[in-house]
Amino acid sequence: MSTLLEKHIVELLKERDEKAISLLYDNYSDTLYGVAYKVVKDEDLAQDVVQESFVKIWKKADSYDASKAKLFTWLFRITRNTAIDKLRSISTKSDKEIQIDVSDVYNLGVLTTRPEFMDVKEHLDKIEPKYKLVLDALFFEGMTQQEASDELGIPLGTIKSRLKIGLRELRKIYGTAMVLIVLLNLVS
Amino acid sequence: MREKIKNFLDTDLLEKYLLGTTSTEETLKVERYITMHPEVRDMYNELQDNLEAYAKLHALKTPEGLKDKILYRIKQEGKVRGKFFKYAIAASIAAFIFAGSSIFFYNQNQRLEDEKTLVTNQIKDLEMDMKVQLEDLRNQYIVLNNPNTKKFPVMGNKKAKELKAVAYVNPVKQLSYINVRNLPQLPEDQCYQMWAEVNGEMVNLGVIKQFDNKEQLLALPYADNAVSYITIEQQGGNNTPTVQNIVANITY
Repeated sequence: MSTLLEKHIVELLKERDEKAISLLYDNYSDTLYGVAYKVVKDEDLAQDVVQESFVKIWKKADSYDASKAKLFTWLFRITRNTAIDKLRSISTKSDKEIQIDVSDVYNLGVLTTRPEFMDVKEHLDKIEPKYKLVLDALFFEGMTQQEASDELGIPLGTIKSRLKIGLRELRKIYGTAMVLIVLLNLVS
Repeated sequence: MREKIKNFLDTDLLEKYLLGTTSTEETLKVERYITMHPEVRDMYNELQDNLEAYAKLHALKTPEGLKDKILYRIKQEGKVRGKFFKYAIAASIAAFIFAGSSIFFYNQNQRLEDEKTLVTNQIKDLEMDMKVQLEDLRNQYIVLNNPNTKKFPVMGNKKAKELKAVAYVNPVKQLSYINVRNLPQLPEDQCYQMWAEVNGEMVNLGVIKQFDNKEQLLALPYADNAVSYITIEQQGGNNTPTVQNIVANITY
């Protein structure tokens, strides 16, 4: 399912209208920036990733198939892959790696105190860390449940149940928003 | 069937597909399951929603100016594309002109080549002509200047009183020439023909076509005690001389 806005953006993208990028930015850049940051753990790098991702989105617009993925899923894949590539290209330059570690510490401090992120943080805090760990492994680190089990040293059954609960918690948070989206879709 | 779907969901392939980390083969498999089994489709859609929701929880405020940077880059991208097409068009025009001029120059070269061959042949011919003429002149000079050369004035008989010619004979060099100075006008259907009797045989020396160049010497075949005749023949010449039409004879 997709919202009217998504449909509109996709149409603009297919028409090679630059307005599509502007709309995408207004609606998704914060989330994609967050995704990029989750992977590279550096503000400057994450900004580079967002920039590169938007250029890729623009270039690859033709390859987007609405029947195969939601717009966000497609945007997420591009951003996450760009971030992983960025991390790989950086880690080959060992000098820079040290710089990143330093800025990482600094940035973490800054981010947690920024007021505009308090709302998001509040929501995130509603999910217990042990569930977040599993959700992170699944969504950001791209681990299979078996891999997460091996990596985190948690039995596969526990991973599965934690994921289930984590997702339920998640639904509670965005549940109201989802109801709205479903209603909008029914109307359209 | 249930078992099959359950096994598929257990492989985590759907999750890998969600993040876009499946191989081409795996992607095809997952897409097949999604289209064929509603349970898998629902699961995939739920995962997509969960992903979006979870990602949104991690949203960070993008810094000021990033949007402008991105929009600028997108515009540049369009320009690069435009530039590329401009270059492509320019390149194809250049290639076209090059191909066109290549054909033009090739044809021109071919034409010049032909002309060159023609000119070379002409020069060769001229050279040959010149050699022949020079040789001729040399011989004439030798004959005329040689003290052994005898000069025989040739006068026409009563049939052609105005006929005047001079024969030069050099027995040492075995060369002989005749210089026809004057020939009476003949009717259209008649011409003068020269003959020489060499060792008892009558040799046709050809028709005297014109004698506007009065200085021209005609070579005669040399033989001891040869006799040359000039006869009046039908237009075009004859194979054998018409004896009654002899207008002059030259003995040397």
